[in-house]
Parts: sequence; C-alpha cells; structure tokens
Amino acid sequence: MAPVAKRPTSSPCSRRTFLSGLLAAGIGLAGGRADPVRASSQPLRFGLTPVVLDDRIGFLNAWADWIEGALSRPVVFVQRSRYREILDLLLQGRIDLAWICGYPYVRNRSRLELIAVPRFRGRPLYQSYFIVGSDSEIQRLHDLEGRLFAWADPDSNSGYLYPRFRLTSDGKDPDRFFRRTFFTWGHPRSVEAVAEGLVDGAAVDSYVWETLARGHPELTARTRVLERSPEFGFPPIVAGPALSDPDRQAIRRVLLSQVQDAAGRTLLNELNLDSFGLETPDLYDDIARMAGRLTGGNGA
Amino acid sequence: MILSLSSYRLRLPLSLSIAAVVTAFSMAVALGLQTLTNLREDQGRNALTLGYAMAGVQIQALRNDDVWLAYSLLRGPDGGGDAVWILLDQAGRIFASNRPRRFRLDQPIENALPWLPQAQPQVIDEKPGRVSAVDREDVRRLLRLPLYSDGSQVGELIALLSDAPYLPRFREILLGGVLVTGGVLAVMLPVGWLWGRRMVGPLVQLADCMGRVGREDPRRMQCTLPDGDSEIGRLGQQFAAMLSALAEKESLEQQMIQAERLAAVGQVAAGVAHEVNNPLGGMLMAIDTYRRAHPVEAQTERLLDLLERALRQIQASVSALLVEARADLRTLTREDLEDVKTLAQPNIVKARIVLNWENACDSAIRLPAAPVRQLLLNLVLNAVQAAQGGGHVGVRITTQDNLLMMRIENSGRVIPPEQLLHLFEPYPASRPHTRGLGLWVCYQIVSQLGGTIRAETQGELTRFLVALPLTAESPA
Repeated sequence: MAPVAKRPTSSPCSRRTFLSGLLAAGIGLAGGRADPVRASSQPLRFGLTPVVLDDRIGFLNAWADWIEGALSRPVVFVQRSRYREILDLLLQGRIDLAWICGYPYVRNRSRLELIAVPRFRGRPLYQSYFIVGSDSEIQRLHDLEGRLFAWADPDSNSGYLYPRFRLTSDGKDPDRFFRRTFFTWGHPRSVEAVAEGLVDGAAVDSYVWETLARGHPELTARTRVLERSPEFGFPPIVAGPALSDPDRQAIRRVLLSQVQDAAGRTLLNELNLDSFGLETPDLYDDIARMAGRLTGGNGA
Repeated sequence: MILSLSSYRLRLPLSLSIAAVVTAFSMAVALGLQTLTNLREDQGRNALTLGYAMAGVQIQALRNDDVWLAYSLLRGPDGGGDAVWILLDQAGRIFASNRPRRFRLDQPIENALPWLPQAQPQVIDEKPGRVSAVDREDVRRLLRLPLYSDGSQVGELIALLSDAPYLPRFREILLGGVLVTGGVLAVMLPVGWLWGRRMVGPLVQLADCMGRVGREDPRRMQCTLPDGDSEIGRLGQQFAAMLSALAEKESLEQQMIQAERLAAVGQVAAGVAHEVNNPLGGMLMAIDTYRRAHPVEAQTERLLDLLERALRQIQASVSALLVEARADLRTLTREDLEDVKTLAQPNIVKARIVLNWENACDSAIRLPAAPVRQLLLNLVLNAVQAAQGGGHVGVRITTQDNLLMMRIENSGRVIPPEQLLHLFEPYPASRPHTRGLGLWVCYQIVSQLGGTIRAETQGELTRFLVALPLTAESPA
C-alpha cells in the first residue's frame, strides 16, 4: 500500500494530475538531489509512491528539510509511478528506505526491515473500501458483477489484493467477475474514476479516501462506500538492504519523535496522520495470509 | 393634421429606418455566418492537430492497456472542451472517452454511435485523419483518426464536434447588430423626420397653391413657392412662371372684354345720338320757324320756351355721349396742362386735400389740346372728389417714347376689384349719385386718340394711368 499525504489539488481532473501521469516515467522528484553525491554526508534516499503526494512538492520539501534538520543529513525523496519500481529500487539498494504498501512488504519481509508505521486515527491500521458512484443503483458487492472496475496497483493490498481475496472467498473468479478492469496506478485516481463514471466501482485505501474527504469533499461526495474490509496493518516505512544499522536507528528515532516537535506535528497533520510508531512485523500477518491464499494472482 | 401612411413625412423616415434595420441585420447575419464558418474550420483543424498530438501517447496507452492514461489525456485540462473524444481499441470497442458515462469502457462503438459508418480498412498513409461533415443529433463534424503502430492499426481516435460552443458568440454578434441598429435608428428617425418635412414642405406649398388655381384670380394669388436649384425648386419656379402667364392672359382677356364692351356701348350711344339728333334738330328748327313766321302770344311763347328748353336738354344729354375728340385742332402746350391745375384749384381747397403736381412736359406736345385738357381735368376732379377730406392727390405728367404719360392717383376710398371692370362704362351702377359720364368721356377721348387708360389700386391708392401716342407730325 502506498504512502499517502493529503492531496492538495482540487478537482479530480487537474492538469497537473494529467501531466504527472504523462511524465511519471522515471523522473524523480527534484532530480538534482536524486543522485547520491559522494560528499562528506551522503543524502538519505527516501522512496515514495507518487499516489497522493505527486504534486505536493512544497510539502515534500518542507518534510525533507525537517528530517534533514533532525537527522543532520540531507534527505532526497524519490518518486515513481508504480509501486513495483520503488520496490525494485529499494531491493537493489538504489534507495535507502521507502514508504510502501503492506503487501509488497510481506512478500519481501526477509530483506526489508520495518522502520516506522504511521498511526491513522490513533491506530496503525487501515481498511479497503469498495466504492461506487453516489447515484449508483449498486447495493451489494455482487451487484458489480459484469461491470467496470478499477484496480489501484497490482502491488496494492487495499486496491488489489484484498478485493480479489474478497471475491475469491465468495467463490468468484476476480478475473471474470467484472466485465472489464484496468489499473489506475493510484488510489486517488480510482476515486476519480468512480466519481467521473469511468468505472462502476473500485477498491481504495481507506486512508486515501478519508483524507480526500477532508480536503476534497466534493470529490468523495460523488462516491459512496459500498463495503469496508477488516483492518490491516497501515502501509509501513521500511529500510532496504542498503541502509546501515546505525542509519536505520537514526531515521527511526527521527520519525518516532516527529510528533513531539511542533513543526513535525504540523507536517503530520498535513499528512492526516497522528504519528509514526514502532510495530512488529506480525502486524502484517493478515495480508501475508491473503497473499498466500491467492497464489494465482495477477503476477503480483 | 393627421398623417396617413402615404405621407412622405412618414414614409421617408420609415424607409430610412427600414433600410438601416435591413442593412444592420444582414451585416450581423453575414458576419455571424462568416464567423461561424471560420470557427468551424478552426475547430476541425484544432481537433486534427490535437488528435495528431495525442496519437503517440494513445497508442502507448492502448498497448499498455492504460485506460487511465488514455482517459486523462482525452479529458485534458478542461474536460476536453466541447468536443467529444473517443478512443477505440483494435476491436472497435471504446477504450476511453472524455464522456465516460455516455461512452462506456469496452462498449462496441456501433452500439454507442449506430450512425457511425463502419471504418474501412484502408491503406496506411501519412495523414490518415479526416474531418467530415455530419448532421447527427448535435454533431456537426466528425474527426476520424486511425492509429497505426508498426504498420498495423491498433485503434482509432474519434472526435465529435458540435456548434454548441459557437452559438453564444453568434448570439453576441446578433446582439451587437441589434444594438447598432438601435443606435442608427435613434439617429435616423429624427433625421428622417426632419428631412421628410424639409422635402415635403415645398411640395405641400405647391399643392396648396395649385389647388387655388381656377378658384381664384391668378393675378391676385399670393403663393409661397419653393425656390432653389433642386428639382422641387425648379418645379416651383416653373409653376410661378405658369401663374404669371395665366395672370397675363387673364388680364388681357379682361382688357379685351372691356374694350369690346366699351366700343359696343360707344357705337350704340353714337347711333342713338344721331337718330335722336336729326329729329331733334328738325323740331328745334320748326319752333324757330314758327316763332319767326307768327306773332306769338304770351301763353304760346311760354309753351314754346318750355318745348325748346326740354329739346335742348335732350340735345345736351345726347351730345355728352358723343365725344368728338378731334374737333379741336390746336396743339397741346405745357400751359394747357397747367391750366387744369388752376381750374381744379377751388375744388382742391374746398376738399382740403394736398395736391402733388408734377409736370415734366416740353412746351409743345403733339396732341389736340381740348380733349387732353378735358381728359386731365376730369381725372383730377375725380381724384379730388375721391380724396375728399384731408387726403392727397398726385399728378405726374411725362413724355417718353412718343407717348404722353399721365398718372393721377389719390388716397381715399378704394375701388373694389369687381367695380374696376365696369369703371369706364356710362352711368356705372356703383356711382348712381354722379352724372356718371366723367370716366366714360375720358375713355372715349383716350380711345379716339389711340391711347390706353387703366385704373389700378395699390393699398389705399387708386391710380389712373393714361398713355397717349403723340401724332407723327404736328397735327394738321
């Protein structure tokens, strides 16, 4: 699942969304800072999936500055349009840590270490929402049969793994249940696709939906939550093999203490989060179980 | 005055206004249609340009099954504007549209747009895009842009273009036309009204004046007629010329009638005088003879006297009708004319009038003295009598061009026009209290001398104008 910040731009059809979709391929945020510079202090490379944060450069700069101040080390955010790309960079050691979904985490638990887990509404948990258009006649999940449906990302728990698991549990083949599906490569886009009538339904991250409802109620008002999933571990911030142990301790300390700092709290508030907490990997066992049951998934 | 629609005072401003309205309206419509045509062409061109610009990324989206990418591209920054964009995949199913509720993902295009002609498999060329005109629902133009990748068609981009975005502009242009028309009308109506009045005013004068011809004496008609270089001005001048010609003709006719009547009266009078004079002379002779041949006793003598006096009175009356102008052969002199002034003096004093006497004649005037003296005296006494009680009389005598001109004018009672016609007849009905032969005698004298006499009035003045031709040589 993707790390998510409060999404700033208003309507679902902003040009920037459109352009960033076009330009997403391979262009990192603040390119100059993306390349590691062999200097006295090597920057910390922090991977983000550009799902909600993609055009909040001002916020990201502020957050990077804050972490830099606390860590005494430069911080560079690296963004990619797909979860998979960030995961690959992380596993290859080309970035130090990343904010990823619980699903790719559980699949690579052996090589990744939990640094911190965001607390949303007081708990390190979130859900998957099945949403439909607010004026849709669909009342139950099974009414979506033969309809158009949007997945978020093949590496998303709430936007792909769970909904497929849910249908499989009911004895449905998620690949045949809908007439046509496609990936939007981002939860906010899935919300938009439902609101615009592009699809009849979608499964989205509850944190994204609730954050959008806070910042852009006119968008979420055009959607209706059809069904809520059980709670899962919130998308964590994990360290890749490239990050040394002392560095892991350092960044963990910084993130855990962010809530104690006024500026840090402001940034957390912008993210619609309470704090970062320390959790054990078994928080994601439910996701791991689902992933284990869905062996025939779509190449995820 | 109630103006009917046929009046130029209404028709002129109305015509101007209608011309202005028609002009402004046709301008607005022409402009609007031209703008619409231009905008349509621009719209087609822009759609084609946009289609080509999108084609590469759309092919990629089709290849990667990236519906969202295709959708966000078609939706563009402003929801795709007014054009409806549809991206079809290889199988002719809708892959994306900026109207996602109407054109659903995975829907066959023949279901969504049944009227759309089946795409013909065609030879790949460099610019396969076509904008064609259609008329379906509100779709006016249709862009079809097949998408090729590596030599084979992978999809098609369709744009449905309508006139909807241009109608507001068309309305704006029309509204502009209406406003301009209103402004022009605000100027045209009063200008046209004034112009109409200016043009029609002279025509109305002319019509009024024409209406009086035949009912009034053209010699005394006072008409205000248009003047100037314009056609109407020339009309007015021509009409004035016609009026004066009419007046002249009328005047000549009157003179001829008068002359003929007076000549007839003169002949009758002369005939009667001769017929009366012959037996009268015999009777007088008989009385005389009787007196000489017989002693007459007193009573008979009184009877004869009575008879003779009565016969002589008849003789005098008849003689008064017979004017013998050429009886006297003495040539007129300046003094003869001055004598008239002297002779009239007692009457002038008695009537308390002012006499303005102007005699510009040479000593000898080649005219018989006695009739001219009588003529002038008659006219002067006549004038003095008319100007009685503090008026004035003017006499002016001149010679020019072998003519003796005499003008005698007086203030006082004006002679009505209808009396002027019968002024010179004997015993005129208008002057029963006079003996009534003064002007008749004057006329006879003037006629016998070959001259003219006429009377006219001017304001309070009554004027007699006499022109007598001088004889070629001194009278024989």
